[in-house]
Amino acid sequence: MKNGPLFFLGLFASLTLSFGGVVLLSNTQLGGLAPYYDDGESKSFPERAPGIAARGQLVYRDLGCASCHTEQVRRPGFGADQARGWGDRQSVARDYIHQAYPQLGAMRIGPDLTNLAGRKPSPLDSEDLMKLLYLGQGTMPAHAFLFNDVKVVGQVPAKALKLTGKMAPAIGHAIVPNEHAQTLVAYLLSLNTVYDYPEARPVAQVEAKSEGAHK
Amino acid sequence: MSTDSNEVSTIDSHARGPLLLLLGSGLVWLVVSGVLGLIASVQLHTPGFLADCAWLTYGHTQALHETAFVYGWLANAGLALGLWVLARLGGESLRASNWVIVGTLFWNLGVTLGLVGIMAGDATGHGLFQLPSYVQPLLLVAYGAIAVAGVLAWSGRRSESTFASQWYVFAALFLFPWIFSVAQVTLVWVPVRGVLQAITAGWYAQGAFTLWLAPLALAVAYYVVPKVTGRVLPAYQFASLGFWTLIVVGSWTGGRHLIGGPVPAWISSLAIVSCSLLVFHYLVVLLNLRGAIGGGGTVLNLMAFGVLAYVLGGFVDAFTSIRGFAVVTQFTFFTQAQQQLALYGGISMLLFGGLYFALPRLTGKPWGSAALITGHATLSVIGVLLLVICLGGAGWTQGRELLNPAVKFSDIALSIRPWLLAATAAQALLLLGNLILVVNFLQTLVAKPVASKTPLFQAPAVMEATAS
Repeated sequence: MKNGPLFFLGLFASLTLSFGGVVLLSNTQLGGLAPYYDDGESKSFPERAPGIAARGQLVYRDLGCASCHTEQVRRPGFGADQARGWGDRQSVARDYIHQAYPQLGAMRIGPDLTNLAGRKPSPLDSEDLMKLLYLGQGTMPAHAFLFNDVKVVGQVPAKALKLTGKMAPAIGHAIVPNEHAQTLVAYLLSLNTVYDYPEARPVAQVEAKSEGAHK
Repeated sequence: MSTDSNEVSTIDSHARGPLLLLLGSGLVWLVVSGVLGLIASVQLHTPGFLADCAWLTYGHTQALHETAFVYGWLANAGLALGLWVLARLGGESLRASNWVIVGTLFWNLGVTLGLVGIMAGDATGHGLFQLPSYVQPLLLVAYGAIAVAGVLAWSGRRSESTFASQWYVFAALFLFPWIFSVAQVTLVWVPVRGVLQAITAGWYAQGAFTLWLAPLALAVAYYVVPKVTGRVLPAYQFASLGFWTLIVVGSWTGGRHLIGGPVPAWISSLAIVSCSLLVFHYLVVLLNLRGAIGGGGTVLNLMAFGVLAYVLGGFVDAFTSIRGFAVVTQFTFFTQAQQQLALYGGISMLLFGGLYFALPRLTGKPWGSAALITGHATLSVIGVLLLVICLGGAGWTQGRELLNPAVKFSDIALSIRPWLLAATAAQALLLLGNLILVVNFLQTLVAKPVASKTPLFQAPAVMEATAS
């Protein structure tokens, strides 16, 4: 290789191609993805999460929760995501359009959280999640720094954790979640991809249906 | 080549200051990342470890470890050796070395602030791109300052024709700022919507490996291996094809991490095809650099290990990108094993080899202790092998059990715990090895110059032998 400018041009062209192909092309395809309007329900999906949940996503991101949890369900038949109860349908790009920082994640040291608030048969409630955060469970470390140990004067705070046994706070004390814990739990409770978009339906199923229609 | 009396010239002594600064900072980060890696590794099997410290959650320590290793160690050492190779092949002293010094200082300031920011919870959350938004422009400018010297060394080269090492360094110098600025704009300043962030982050992370770190390490290997063996590279006529395959195809492979994910299927399909095409690049590298294997001496042994790990990493990437494998290995420690194989086993080992070759020539002094060199090399080789095997074993077990919905997460944790414990031991070995390297480096720097250095450098092969 003797021609310096040609070499430079080659480098430039190679990266332009890959930038155009991966970044720009996907942006063209998905950048304008709009919410799906359902005539039957007279609503658009996905719905925007409440503000506190959006703030909670920032806490989720700051703590690095995505190092152990994913928020993407793979299609039924590809992995055991459906069998583990993480979601009945595949996650699609439209699920994330309102999220400032989608937390797809790349590791499953813990379970997927895409539909955490819609777990069957009994979804976790705020109290369960708070206890899980405070005490930890299995490989999930306790996040005690998200809670304050406060001295109770008069009435026990309404938000105090109802802990019993060994983990109960000292008499006259209560464990109260701080703001980060509250927004984080609000976010976790907002995680539920309820709506069945056309593009999320399994391909095979659609074919079977259309065949049935012909017969 | 072993009788070349011009083996060491003013090119080396002129480059000494800035390049030693880069190498020294790199080594500091190597140890820091080792400590962080050890902490993160312990947290995986003992979740209570440092759990009370909001600054050191596993999410943080993992990001810190990765960032210190890539932006601290690999970047500093890769740039130092890359610039050195470029200056030597160009036949001119390194120009704009003040720019390199200023750039290095600011780069390392940026990395330091970035690590503090990650601890405070400002990480971006994208793999290999964790540095907080506010240090990224600083890093970009600092990188530019360091790269000035490289561009001048390239354009001011004495001979028109160029050698493979020069292509690789120049590509790394030019392409990194581009992908880094694209990632900054699309992920930090004007974040793209929804899953596009994951697509762009994957593109950047892959580019950082294939267009930046790998070219720097390969440049060093292409330079050092023929120097030490004293033989022309075999099948060198294919080197340019290998180079262009990496540059053209390499950055398309990022989408393999999104297989089955909420993105259009063509993104992962393209990545799978590109992974297979990239095998050609790895074959050419193996063909060209096979002389390092079985060559003897620490430099060549480390180079041989690095080449084999790099090539093996490429093949494993190609296999695991196939959907049937990806369904098992995705989201497991297997991906961490692949990353360690490529970054530590491949890139870092090649840089270690380059460092052992370059330092005596830069300082004009032989390495302080041959025993410490052997110690570091042995610990590194054992550590990397153990780490990759354990993470791979953990990942495969985890992946198989995740596919079985009857196995609970607590049971998965139990069955991979032995693997993870052994991985912690591997991290400890690596850290110990790197501490030995730092001691030896410092010892060499403070040692008195050899009174008569002529005989030492007239026979570099002999010096290589004493140093290994």
